Amino acid sequence: MAGNFWQSSHSQQWILDKQDLLRERQSDLLVLSEDEYQKIFIFFANVIQVLGEQLKLRQQVIATATVYFKRFYARNSLKNIDPLLLAPTCILLASKVEEFGVISNSRLISICQSAIKTKFSYAYAHTQEFPYRTNHILECEFYLLENLDCCLIVFQPYRPLLQLVQDMSQDDQLLTLSWRIVNDSLRTDVCLLYPPYQIAIACLQIACVILQKDATKQWFAELNVDLDKVQEIVRAIVNLYEMWKDWKEKDEIQMLLAKIPKPKPPPQR
Amino acid sequence: MQKYDKMEKIGEGTYGTVFKGRNRDTMEIVALKKVRLDEDEEGVPSSALREICLLKELKHKNIVRLSDVLLSDKKLTLVFEHCDQDLKKYFDSLNGEIDMAVCRSFMLQLLRGLAFCHSHNVLHRDLKPQNLLINKNGELKLADFGLARAFGIPVKCYSAEVVTLWYRPPDVLFGAKLYTTSIDMWSAGCILAELADAGRPLFPGSDVLDQLLKIFRVLGTPTEETWPGVSHLSDYVALPTFPPISSWSQLVPRLNSKGRDLLQKLLVCRPNQRITAEAAMQHPYFTDSSSSGH
Repeated sequence: MAGNFWQSSHSQQWILDKQDLLRERQSDLLVLSEDEYQKIFIFFANVIQVLGEQLKLRQQVIATATVYFKRFYARNSLKNIDPLLLAPTCILLASKVEEFGVISNSRLISICQSAIKTKFSYAYAHTQEFPYRTNHILECEFYLLENLDCCLIVFQPYRPLLQLVQDMSQDDQLLTLSWRIVNDSLRTDVCLLYPPYQIAIACLQIACVILQKDATKQWFAELNVDLDKVQEIVRAIVNLYEMWKDWKEKDEIQMLLAKIPKPKPPPQR
Repeated sequence: MQKYDKMEKIGEGTYGTVFKGRNRDTMEIVALKKVRLDEDEEGVPSSALREICLLKELKHKNIVRLSDVLLSDKKLTLVFEHCDQDLKKYFDSLNGEIDMAVCRSFMLQLLRGLAFCHSHNVLHRDLKPQNLLINKNGELKLADFGLARAFGIPVKCYSAEVVTLWYRPPDVLFGAKLYTTSIDMWSAGCILAELADAGRPLFPGSDVLDQLLKIFRVLGTPTEETWPGVSHLSDYVALPTFPPISSWSQLVPRLNSKGRDLLQKLLVCRPNQRITAEAAMQHPYFTDSSSSGH
């Protein structure tokens, strides 16, 4: 549903305040530094991306699943639900909402299993097992639905981005790069803090700088948009790239995952 | 489910049973739609999810309000505002007589709800008297969005078997797979005729073929001239050539001429020629104060 963003639940309930977000995270930030916290979320955004690609989901579905994931932990500690369980659950829910079609649970679980054994074996070297079954995922889906307050329609920056690039009458290279930056922005908090069209503008601006499209400056100056907000988004994404540059995920992730506050062991049934 | 007392069963929806209920704190009467959960595979059914996510975004006085979603103990219950009856039951209570002012008011409210859905890129796809709820203030509300879907993002084929036969447009009966808002406008036309005739359905077909024949006996059989591309639809069959009826006043005798004009703009075989909800709301049928007579 591509209705009016300003009347949507996304706009009215899910554009969060930065201070509130940090406050909600406080208990997790006693155990993890802010950097570590973000690195864990980068890792799980990658998990969602890989699972989505294996299931041949459109990027829109993957992005929605990632936003669900981030919204859940915006209101919950990491110990409330193991992120390794929540990630596939977000995929399941997003694919139903975005009407991609229903993914069977057994297929989802077997794809999780193989992703852990191959793509993410460096992170789960000691277990090599996806420990959850259908009943866990279905229970988790309920919990997720409740924590999202049933707000399931998520507006993404992709559509405004397409319009902006068209309006600029720029080439495909710019669209491709800014599209990828939008994907990367899901590894920051911007999807929780800013409306999607502002994120689209920020990603486009970064892409123009990288491609040295100086002639576009005037175009940006004429936009009717809160440029301070756009700059905040740009900063958040540039910080992400700075962090990414020096981060050796493969060496560090096991240690980070071990530090995550743990939920109670999954109930046995 | 401590917040609501469950009362008598009201009906069966697409994916669960509907009960009357009462909020223990406010004593407000509500409708509780209990969703059957398929334990092994799908989880929360996508039709229920669709209804939840659309109604969470669509707030309008002619669209039934979703006031709460209860998730507990492996049960999912949708809490809706309660309406006294649906249009089908209302028809049954009429004994074949309807006040034409009521007919016009219901039709306008139906179009307002539809225009709002369509402006949010949502198709209802299953409009019928059973899905239109009426409360005691004479307000009409669109309900049962289990088959509704947003059409903003790439439109692929939807399953063909979605609209109750009687309210299904000829393009869908011929197997058209790309649905647009025009699907709801046809159904609205059938409902206008049924309203004007106090609940006698206009095209009560018994199967797809009979449905098409009933439609074409009134509107005339479409040809490539009147509807380019019709013969290329996947389930197209050549049918006997009927001329359009000459007198709509015989078909819907109680509807005035402006109402008949609106009806003829809704019941158009070629989908892209059907009037939109927004335009239909502006039709003189709704503005002329003398419309309640013949």
